[in-house]
Amino acid sequence: MAPLLQARGITKRFGGLTAVSDVSFEIEKGSIVGLIGPNGAGKTTFFNMITGLYTPSDGDMIFDGKRINGTKPSEVTKLGIGRTFQNIRLFAHMTALENVLVGQHCRMHTSLLGTLFRTASMRAEEKAARQKAFELLEYVGLGRNSADEMAKNLPYGDQRRLEVARALATDPKLLLLDEPTAGMNPKETDALTELIYRVRDERDLTVLLIEHDMKVVMGISERVTVLDRGIKISEGLPREVQTDPKVVEAYLGTGHAAKGKGGGAPVFDKA
Amino acid sequence: MPNTKRYLITGGVGFAVGTFFLWNYPNLGLGSALLGGLVIAALCLLYSAPLADMIKAGLIAGMFGAVMTIVYGTHKPGVAIIAGMVSGLGAGLLAFQRSPQANPKKAAILGAEAGAIAGAWTGLSLFVMAFVIAPAAGIDAGDFAEHLSETVILADVLGLGSDILILLFAFAFSTLSGAILGAASCAARSLPLRPNIPLLAVIALPVLLIPLIDRAGNLLLLDALIPIYIFILLALGLNIVVGYAGLLDLGYAAFFAIGAYTTAMLSSPHLGINLSFWLVIWVAAAVAAIAGLTLGAPTLPLRGDYLAIVTLGFGEIVPILFRSLGGGPPGGTLTLRFFGMPIGIEQVDLTGGNKGINPISPPHLPLIGDFDPSNKIPWYYLLILIMGLAIFFINRLRDSRQGRAWMAMREDELAADAMGINVVRTKLLAFSMGAMFSGFGGAFYGAFIGAIFPSSFDFSVSIILLCMVILGGLGNMTGVIVGGLLIQGADKMFIPKGAELFRRIAETKARAEGSSTVGVSALQDLTQQRLLLFGIVLVVMMLVRPEGLLPNERRKAELHPDDDTINSNSVAAEAEADPSLAA
Repeated sequence: MAPLLQARGITKRFGGLTAVSDVSFEIEKGSIVGLIGPNGAGKTTFFNMITGLYTPSDGDMIFDGKRINGTKPSEVTKLGIGRTFQNIRLFAHMTALENVLVGQHCRMHTSLLGTLFRTASMRAEEKAARQKAFELLEYVGLGRNSADEMAKNLPYGDQRRLEVARALATDPKLLLLDEPTAGMNPKETDALTELIYRVRDERDLTVLLIEHDMKVVMGISERVTVLDRGIKISEGLPREVQTDPKVVEAYLGTGHAAKGKGGGAPVFDKA
Repeated sequence: MPNTKRYLITGGVGFAVGTFFLWNYPNLGLGSALLGGLVIAALCLLYSAPLADMIKAGLIAGMFGAVMTIVYGTHKPGVAIIAGMVSGLGAGLLAFQRSPQANPKKAAILGAEAGAIAGAWTGLSLFVMAFVIAPAAGIDAGDFAEHLSETVILADVLGLGSDILILLFAFAFSTLSGAILGAASCAARSLPLRPNIPLLAVIALPVLLIPLIDRAGNLLLLDALIPIYIFILLALGLNIVVGYAGLLDLGYAAFFAIGAYTTAMLSSPHLGINLSFWLVIWVAAAVAAIAGLTLGAPTLPLRGDYLAIVTLGFGEIVPILFRSLGGGPPGGTLTLRFFGMPIGIEQVDLTGGNKGINPISPPHLPLIGDFDPSNKIPWYYLLILIMGLAIFFINRLRDSRQGRAWMAMREDELAADAMGINVVRTKLLAFSMGAMFSGFGGAFYGAFIGAIFPSSFDFSVSIILLCMVILGGLGNMTGVIVGGLLIQGADKMFIPKGAELFRRIAETKARAEGSSTVGVSALQDLTQQRLLLFGIVLVVMMLVRPEGLLPNERRKAELHPDDDTINSNSVAAEAEADPSLAA
């Protein structure tokens, strides 16, 4: 089976700085893949090239058999890539329900005239959209009570969940999660991990997540790709990557790895 | 009562404004009264939350009734009854909206209490009017005597003093209608109706009745009201662009000009094209909408300040363009050089230059014939119809996927893009929809005034429209209408009339002292301080209530960032995320 997302020799240069250099990488349909690396490794740049915010300087980004280099973010979303943001970017002063409705925007078809004359098809579409929005809110674990709450008034963990619901509302094939557990306590993290699995299993999605919290990524991902200073340094099953000396070095520095204090793995477990 | 002071200040200030500013001879009286009520409502809102809901509602509506009585009422018992009823209805409605009751009896009591407060203010105002202000301004009591006689007969029958009687009338009818409305609101709530239907009725009735009252009382109110309404229509269009989509447009008058000039060019002897107004108004709206797209396109990558500057430029260019398209001397040619080759273009007078286009054909209807400039009633209803449709359709836009896309874009353009919203299309739609409504406004304006000049569309128009939107409350149509009534009412009614009143009081005083009245008329210069007054009002607003008088709830939250949990949390999140890596 062809991979859902394929990066071929992706390079991104900002002036003289090469943020991502010749990264090739594949995501199988139905998998949960983690993209990790220390700060400044180029994870977010890579992410932004998938979502269309940046155009790769070199190489091809292929999604579902289509080259998506330079496609506008809204078009990428329409093709079936939904995302969340590292620093929650909900529409803070819209209700939870409206946030999810906005997510469905690109799947709705009512034209301007349909809106102005409130045609039967517009009303039907609007009703279905609301129905679906309620279902999604419930699916991610936000009750009906939260639906009319302004997004900014929701508790932090719920805001993360709402972002997932909003991304799911775009009917994605691939879900991109940018540090989904940042700032969460262990309980919230566990709940979100469970949600991610549920989304993959029940909704037939593929998930790519960026993390720099090693423990989270090892817990969730089936495969892990490690970037360091824009270069892919390791790839494989979490356990393999964890013990890869290059990864240990990237995270902890050469000296530490050379001393080999307790090997790689235990160090990460502490993180 | 802990809020006594606040209550007194609000009531006192409102009362002072109501009595001193708005009383004048009966011309324009009701209009001043309507707008005066809103001034006071605004003041009450400024002193917002801690006041008891009922008192506040009573105050707001009572001021409305008081002002209406003072200005329009004189001593007629009928007017006291109407004023009492109007204020009672308003009070009951406001009270119910602020603290909805499930029990009809409780709702009726609440409405009655609010109505009583309103009625008390309404009645009280009569005394002030009759015994303080009218004599001070040297206003002829002839009218009063006439009305008084009616009252006196009734008063004799009941064995009461006429003023007491009027006070009682106002009080009783206000209380009664407050109670009725309270109960009715409660009943309406349990019906499967949209909850704002009673509110709609209370607002729509006076609006629809104004021309009749105007004609009966020969108030010449419509002359002032129609331009005010036109500006409100424009502000509603601007609200789409600025309030919903969050795009700061400083050149909105350009679309107004485009709508008006389109009408003038297609419906006047000037170019020999004389199409029906009913066709031209659609053409004008379409041309304005296309102009909106044309302006929107180059500004797409711009945000905030940069967008404002480009729109400002556009707003300046358009009137200049219309001025220049007026051609040169007759038979003159314009010579352009194209790669050194001179090309002569015969100058055609398209727009009449500085002289503008005059006359513009009025609309024509089978039964009414040509709309007559001297009879404002058909114009008024036509404008009400246009505004009603505009409000109706803007409402629909707001509650649709398009409207949600505008708001999402305003909240966070990048996130909106990432959620599949085509930002380009959404922005252009906002610009063209906003422009379209001002195209309607411009078309009506051109036909109504019967002549247009480039100077009617300069920068100050854009700014005053923006002030209306901001004062009332960005993104909330009710707020925009209230803001529009306040600013335009102040501009066209209160300030000129207030100046006139001060002058009359001063003159009366001077005459009584036997001194000269010459220097006194300088007081009329108050009119010339109006921009200063707007400036002060806006500065105070921005400090005290930046979200406007009747804010959109979302905007309100945005502008009071104290409890903005998203930002503080995401900062905390980053701070927490980093140590986990360093560990």
